[in-house]
Amino acid sequence: MTLKSEIENILNQARKDISSCKNLSDLENLKVKFLGRKSRFSELLKRIGKLSSEERPIIGKLLNKSKSEIENIIEKRRNSFENTVNNSEHTFDITMPGRPIEIGAKHPVFQVWEEIEDIFISMGFEIAEGPEIENEYNNFDALNTPEWHPARNLQDTLYLKNGMLLRTHTSPVQIRVMKNFKPPIKIISPGRCYRNDKPDASHLPVFHQFEALVVDVGITFADLKSTLDSFVKRFFGEKIRSRFRPHFFPFTEPSAEIDMLCINCHGKGCKLCKNSGWLEMGGAGMVDPAVLENVKFDSEKYTGFAFGLGIDRITMLRYGISDIRTLFKNDLRFLKQFV
Amino acid sequence: MKISYNWLKKYIPIKLSVEEFCDKLTMFGLEVEEIINLEEKFENIVIGKIISISKHPNSDHLSTCLVDIAEKEPLSVICGAPNVGKNQTVVLAKIGAKIGEIEVKKVKLRGIKSFGMICSEKELGLSENHSGIMILDEKFNAGEPISKALNLADNIIEVEVTPNRPDLLGMIGLAREIGVMIDEKYSKPKIKFQESSQLTSDAISIEIKNPKLCPRYCCRIVRNVTIKSSPDWLQQRLRAIGLRSINNVVDVTNFVLMEYGQPLHAFDYDKISGKKIIVRTAKNNEQIELLDEENYKLKQDNLVIADAEKPIALAGIMGGMSSCISPKTKDIVLECAHFEPKNIRTTSYLMNLESDSSHRFERGTNPNGLEEIIDRAAQLIQQVAGGEICKNIVDVYPKKISPQKIFLRTKRVNDILNINLKSEKIKSFLQKFEFTISEKNNDFEVTIPTFRPDIEREIDLIEEIARRYGYQNITSTASIPQIENRQKRLTLRAIKNHLVKLGFFEVCNLSFSGTDVFEKLNLSNSDFRRETADMKNPLGEQFSILRTTLIPDLLRNVATNLSYKFEDFKLFEMNNVYFKKDEKSFLEKTFLTGTITGKFNSEYWNVHPDKPSFFDVKGVVESILEILHIPKITNYVKSTEPYFVKEQSADLIFGDEKIGSFGVLSDKILSKFEIKTFTLLFDIDLTKLLKHISQDEIVYSEVIKFPPVLRDIALISAQNISVSEIEKTIKSLNSEIIRSVSLFDVYAGKQIEKGHRSLAFRITFQSEKSTLTDNFVDKLFDKIVRKLSSDYKIKLRKK
Ligand SMILES: [Zn+2]
Repeated sequence: MTLKSEIENILNQARKDISSCKNLSDLENLKVKFLGRKSRFSELLKRIGKLSSEERPIIGKLLNKSKSEIENIIEKRRNSFENTVNNSEHTFDITMPGRPIEIGAKHPVFQVWEEIEDIFISMGFEIAEGPEIENEYNNFDALNTPEWHPARNLQDTLYLKNGMLLRTHTSPVQIRVMKNFKPPIKIISPGRCYRNDKPDASHLPVFHQFEALVVDVGITFADLKSTLDSFVKRFFGEKIRSRFRPHFFPFTEPSAEIDMLCINCHGKGCKLCKNSGWLEMGGAGMVDPAVLENVKFDSEKYTGFAFGLGIDRITMLRYGISDIRTLFKNDLRFLKQFV
Repeated sequence: MKISYNWLKKYIPIKLSVEEFCDKLTMFGLEVEEIINLEEKFENIVIGKIISISKHPNSDHLSTCLVDIAEKEPLSVICGAPNVGKNQTVVLAKIGAKIGEIEVKKVKLRGIKSFGMICSEKELGLSENHSGIMILDEKFNAGEPISKALNLADNIIEVEVTPNRPDLLGMIGLAREIGVMIDEKYSKPKIKFQESSQLTSDAISIEIKNPKLCPRYCCRIVRNVTIKSSPDWLQQRLRAIGLRSINNVVDVTNFVLMEYGQPLHAFDYDKISGKKIIVRTAKNNEQIELLDEENYKLKQDNLVIADAEKPIALAGIMGGMSSCISPKTKDIVLECAHFEPKNIRTTSYLMNLESDSSHRFERGTNPNGLEEIIDRAAQLIQQVAGGEICKNIVDVYPKKISPQKIFLRTKRVNDILNINLKSEKIKSFLQKFEFTISEKNNDFEVTIPTFRPDIEREIDLIEEIARRYGYQNITSTASIPQIENRQKRLTLRAIKNHLVKLGFFEVCNLSFSGTDVFEKLNLSNSDFRRETADMKNPLGEQFSILRTTLIPDLLRNVATNLSYKFEDFKLFEMNNVYFKKDEKSFLEKTFLTGTITGKFNSEYWNVHPDKPSFFDVKGVVESILEILHIPKITNYVKSTEPYFVKEQSADLIFGDEKIGSFGVLSDKILSKFEIKTFTLLFDIDLTKLLKHISQDEIVYSEVIKFPPVLRDIALISAQNISVSEIEKTIKSLNSEIIRSVSLFDVYAGKQIEKGHRSLAFRITFQSEKSTLTDNFVDKLFDKIVRKLSSDYKIKLRKK
């Protein structure tokens, strides 16, 4: 048998076998049989080198042509199988999962942070920021904190070796803003703050808070109450009221502690609110005239209010997280719940 | 509304240039939309006399005219109008004249040249009439510019009158308003005429069946008029504002409409059956043919003016054909009435009929002062059409509409506007608007004339005072300071959102660190990250400094999560790091650090991701730069960071500045953090990166309408020639046409010469100006091949 007729035979056999094959796996076997490394075709290809120089190009060409024809009919047969698979009601399983699109998530503290920013932006506030490493003046003196105040102690505040400190609240941002801008001022300053606390279920040396500050002509305690109330309602829902209790802060006068109705029991009393019906949220008050004078505002002309709330605490309340350390373990089993 | 500046000046002296005047009008609340200088508009348009006329040899409807325009020779002009004829005085637009937007040029029409154009009124913008060419009185001289002949040296001011101000839809109302604006007195026309002895009430009776829809109806009768065309002055006035002249009587009613803003109608007295006018609602299925020559079926809520038998007008909207003024009309009945706006609005809307009349009635006309207006019309009719005016007005006004009173507080004015006006000043402003005032302890009781239906409350009066005072004179209060860095906030959020969409989880670690991490990261002793802020009273050894890099915490997070059996995951942290600047101060910077552990996407039944590589993390970094619209001045060089696999890492360089680095973490580093899975890292100094964000966001350019041509090129190139170099070289050959060069295949190994690789690029060619020809692209393609061959010894891969 000449080489030429042998190639012809293989081709014919391939045509017959491929057209009569029944399924995809048979087809794969046929592909190996006709085109695989151990196929007749491969053998013939190896033999090409031994042919005469006249025969070599002719047979080479024929082999290549036949090979691509077999590839073609295999491909066509495969397509016909795949189409029947697609058309077949029995083999097409729509309950199989769709192509997964992996979506991540922002950290829950930052999700809450952004939501707070957005609520205040919608109420006409701007976002202000400042450094975390502060001097004692901005963190305490300018805010009317007396020399003897325990907050200044090494037991309460983290100091750097050169005498600067890690801010204990974002109030220094207020001082910086008031030094650089004239009223009307309407800002919130969210940021990272520090205190000398050993980590436990409710304390970390790092925490996130935001403070609101409004200074203008004619700002009153009533404005403070309405602003805080509006925020709490927008964030936690219409039913959550807030209340103010007299308190002491060096930088506000009159000062107040803010409570909001327990989001769990709505005032009936439960474990979360230790049966009081109220949750402690933070501090507030009218900016002390001394603070305004420190930044050279006319305290007769301008009045202002300020309040501060913890972002971590709000996050924990919203999601019912009882241990603050859970927030910063960065465990994907936790983080994946916030997609 | 179109205002003729010349006409307006008849009622009020204005010494301003038309531009200055229009600026003031706009700032006063009457926005000027367009000023048309008629002299300029009618340049090269002159009076012509048709000397002779002949049929166009190649057309049935065209004529060839010889037109005398007092030049050396008459012009030969082709005209297609049906009413063209010999000896007519016409308007001729010479070559170079502009008709609307179109310039008149010498043209050949069916083989015969035409040297101009004979115009219709519509073409000249003088009216809507387009039934034929405009034919003028023969008294005009050939060659005279029509702006002069027709007294059109005027400016037409198109003003937007807001719908609450019907009083401004007439010259006198405008003059009153302008008087307030420029502190001038305006004047009304003097009305004086003789009445005949016949009583109007003897000649006609009026009955209003529905006084709610028609609170007032006045009429006068003028007998023995001569209907003819109007005198020039009247035609010119109407023409200037785009109204067509019809006949002397109708023109007068239109003139007075434009003068007072009050619509009038003239009926042919002889056609009024029963000599009786009844204002009533239509009977079902009643019909009327209106002046637009259309038949209308009426409904019960349509108000009509009827005679003893039938409707003769659709009240306030349009007159009827049956009683219209014709050349034979001898005696006329003039109507001047007040209709309820809502009914007119509804009827006009439902019948899809609009007129100058309905436009005013539906906005609310003044019910009082109709006597003056009807007298003005009677006087003018007598002046232009002759005749005798019957004695007295028949005026049916069952329930007089009285002016409203509004209380205005001086303090309230000043509080709302934050100004300090004395009550005398407010008083003088109000008087200019023709409000009647009685003062009460610095406040006012203001009587609002009925021509101002828009003034209903105190606040409406305050608006008038504010307009007169001038909005520009009210000083704004302290501006609200821009405190926040909005762009920074939005950018950082955008980056986070982007990474989240790519499947990254954000982590948040505390700010403290121990000093042991520098050894773990293999940092040299001079590394900038060793410039730390040291704590005086740390909580422990692992809290002794503030962190200068986010990498160690993040790698700890990776190790923890691997221990929870997560295999493929991506984390990032965006937080501050803190450096010691000098003994007294510190530097806080925001960093973005991220890791890709395992495969970029998890294995799934229909997802079989490739082995993870350097290019996965590079893709993430590039996508961040892309969403920030950072121009491609980025440069990548081999990274000097000690924690990466040397060859598979890069530093990101902008100009001379290193912005960050990314790459494959070395096994040595990973093992120090007890990570056994392949992990990629990127670490970007956002504080530096933010400085490179362009302010001008997205620059839109029009989509290119010519199709692109795509060509693939397969090259054999030495391994040491970088892909970016090849891309740059290709682009440099014609950066306008070569839009993109994108790598789609890389291969090295069998069949490829040692030390070489095969690279396949797809090149997109596209021009903004034309469709590229194959020939052009072939030539450019050859140029690319030659350039690569001569500069880099890169060869085309043979197929
Ligand atoms: Zn509770």
